[in-house]
Amino acid sequence: MRGLLKTLFANRKAAIGAAIVAFFILVALAAPLVAPFDINQRVASPHEAPSAEHVMGATRMGRDVLSQTIHGTQTSLIVGFAAGLLVTVLGTAIGVTAGYFGGKVDEVLNLFTNISLVIPNLPLMLVLAAFIGQTGPFVIALIIGLTSWGWGARVTRAQALSLRQRDYILAAEMLGEPAWRVISFELLPNLISIIGFNFIGSILYAVITEATMEFLGLGDPMVVSWGTMLYHAQSTSALQVGAWWEMAAPCLALVIFGSGLSLINFAVDEIANPRLRTLRVPAKVLAALTNRSSNQGGRA
Amino acid sequence: MAFLLRRVGFYVAAFIVAATFNFLIPRLMPGNPVDIMFAQAGGTLPPEALAALKETFGFIDQPWPAQFVAYLKSVFTWDLGLSVKFHPLTVNEVLLRALPWTLMLVLTSSLIAFAIGSLAGILAAWRRGGRFDSIGAPIALMMQAMPPLVTSLLALFLFAIYWPVFPTGYAYDPEIDPGFTLEFFCSIFKHAFLPIVTMALAQVGGYLITMRNSMINLLGEDYIVLGTAKGLSDRRLRMAYAARNALLPTVTSFAMTLGASFGGALVTEVVFNYPGLGYTLFQGITARDYPLIQGQLLIMTLAMLTANFIADVLYVALDPRLRKG
Amino acid sequence: MTEPILSVRDLCVDYATPNGLTRAVKNVTFDIAAGEVLGLAGESGSGKSTVAFAIARLHRPPAFITGGSINLAGTDVLALNDRELRAWRWRDLSVVLQSAMNALNPVLRVSAQFADMFKAHGVSGKADIRARTADLLQMVGIQPERMDDYPHQFSGGMRQRIVIAMALALRPKLVVMDEPTTALDVVVQRELLEEVAALRHKLGFSVLFITHDLALMSQFCDRVGVMLRGELIELSTPSAMIADPQQDYTRRLWASIPPLHPRPGETLVRMKETPQ
Repeated sequence: MRGLLKTLFANRKAAIGAAIVAFFILVALAAPLVAPFDINQRVASPHEAPSAEHVMGATRMGRDVLSQTIHGTQTSLIVGFAAGLLVTVLGTAIGVTAGYFGGKVDEVLNLFTNISLVIPNLPLMLVLAAFIGQTGPFVIALIIGLTSWGWGARVTRAQALSLRQRDYILAAEMLGEPAWRVISFELLPNLISIIGFNFIGSILYAVITEATMEFLGLGDPMVVSWGTMLYHAQSTSALQVGAWWEMAAPCLALVIFGSGLSLINFAVDEIANPRLRTLRVPAKVLAALTNRSSNQGGRA
Repeated sequence: MAFLLRRVGFYVAAFIVAATFNFLIPRLMPGNPVDIMFAQAGGTLPPEALAALKETFGFIDQPWPAQFVAYLKSVFTWDLGLSVKFHPLTVNEVLLRALPWTLMLVLTSSLIAFAIGSLAGILAAWRRGGRFDSIGAPIALMMQAMPPLVTSLLALFLFAIYWPVFPTGYAYDPEIDPGFTLEFFCSIFKHAFLPIVTMALAQVGGYLITMRNSMINLLGEDYIVLGTAKGLSDRRLRMAYAARNALLPTVTSFAMTLGASFGGALVTEVVFNYPGLGYTLFQGITARDYPLIQGQLLIMTLAMLTANFIADVLYVALDPRLRKG
Repeated sequence: MTEPILSVRDLCVDYATPNGLTRAVKNVTFDIAAGEVLGLAGESGSGKSTVAFAIARLHRPPAFITGGSINLAGTDVLALNDRELRAWRWRDLSVVLQSAMNALNPVLRVSAQFADMFKAHGVSGKADIRARTADLLQMVGIQPERMDDYPHQFSGGMRQRIVIAMALALRPKLVVMDEPTTALDVVVQRELLEEVAALRHKLGFSVLFITHDLALMSQFCDRVGVMLRGELIELSTPSAMIADPQQDYTRRLWASIPPLHPRPGETLVRMKETPQ
């Protein structure tokens, strides 16, 4: 595991991505200390443009956008991680169970998974949220978690199926190890990279979906998160009156945080699948080789 | 053929599951949806409508299994009930009005994104590590991290408000009478341009990466080596040997992405006030028009299943190993 | 003594790694005469496949040819530019790969895979191409009517025959065979090699035969070269090699073939080299 982490961070993309994500986590943790203004106080004139005092301007209600974005980081990240965790746990549990036990168990779970994949996620979530009524961030996290595990389950199941027939698994079973031990100690460690990939992808998906749902009015307008900021901006016609900063701040936060996660995932994918790696040949070596210009291979 | 039949069976099962969700959700949720709807409708509903709604949502004396059977019957005869917000229109009428717009957005943007993304992915994979790949692949990733929400807002602001090149909403200019006139079609095109471009941008990165990775995974295969050894042209190798085989997993991902793009269409329509299914759903949610919301779920599920089925047919057509014999 | 058809001198192939260059093939030198079958034997990682691919110029980064010369029937193989290379491919040198499973493009009909090869080498005319394809298939014992089937519709042995037929289509001077029978069962293996031997007598091409199966090699090859860690350590006829091996490794390699009738008390010879 430590070796894997070391390889991961040696990769440039992963390092940048991790730095971005770490930055956001720090901001979320330190939100009350870092935000310059109280988010519930009117501290500026309505839709005041960005200035030295209010770096990201103010909302229609005169609240500081930067402070809201900082506090919103807290909410959005918590929901993102919680929902991402739920999705990953569910997906892994179902996928591994189906892949390991096979037979009837697999048939049922697989059918279940396929159905969940084929019913469109966002409309289902909206229906749930609409019927529940005013949904706070935790309910949103729950809704996302309970509907979006399908992709992870399918991918994990495929991996588990292919690893299932490996010798060390069969040997462990023949030695009489109970199923839960085989799964926990022999199977799961080899699924780490795919589980990690799913986890990070799920966080990204959850953060975006939460923002989208809140934007559409399904969140709790009293809570401050990137999504509710967008909702308020939309309902006060911020763009139409030219107060673009109110939309820009949460959008920027979403995009940068999302990019950080994507970079990490790209690196995880490269490491798990060596064929995808771009060969980094040291310049000296390459120069020595290309000097012999008549020695190109079949295809450069 | 057996393969396709099995898929159809599966889709029917999935549809029934969606219908079951529709049945269970209002009955399991706290509160009385009928009262909420009624309050929201503010007295525009006649008492017969109230009775019909109560029946739809199960606040009557029949046991659930009987209600379920009745409900399934109504679904399969496509009797989705009356809309509350758009009374006296039926849910079906509201949905059918909106469906063509969404279909146009989703299909056009998906096809454009698929074509461009796949071609770019082929190039990126073929010249691995080259300039196009080193710049293109990370950019595609960044684009994937941009939620359709952000892209729509950005597009709206930049090209409809800041530089008012395109209109800010609706499917066509309300001043123009609908009809088969050039003026009308131009208006449709102008209004659809930003939503389609937004949605295409949201998907193109994914298609690029899928095709690229799919191709890279098979570049070491024996038939590629043998193809090179035969002295085939670069183009023939790239298209008929590599891309043609890499297409298969890409088609599967196309079907899945199509489903996601329905969600994306939802957001784009709201931002651009585009009168498709997504916008209608949004209006339904705001008005707590539950029959409409439920009808939406069914129709979007149906659209997803159809897209998946088309992908299955395509897969059989493309992969000779799946055909009989 | 007639000119050899293939002349390899001091061939060096390096692999580029983040830590520098690793030499996979060290100064390999050998000739193949016209109509001769030369085998290259060795463990996995000895470099035999690398040599074969380098000769066919099918190696790809991170592998690079860093020294030596390859001369096939008067052509300096390493000096060919892209256009010349494509024309040279298959016409002078063709390859047969290990796994028939994957050597043929699964989504194209067999006839199409012959056709694109012909078209790439200047043969046009659909009827002409189809006639030649039919002849070739017949030559290896495949019914020409099955020309329009897909590869998955043939068995493994038949697919390999198709690949061999394709390899001989342009009457090449040298056919490089990299473990061509490894994925097949023993009976099919024998049939295939007898087929190749018969074709060789008829058409007169040379073969570079790569395998790890020594028993097979001793029956099929005129001469055998032994590779160890990138170097060609011995090169002679099978009988000479068995009777009087020059190198210790060679002796142990041949002795490691399990005998059909082991003498009592005889154990397998340890092949493990001392750690590098």
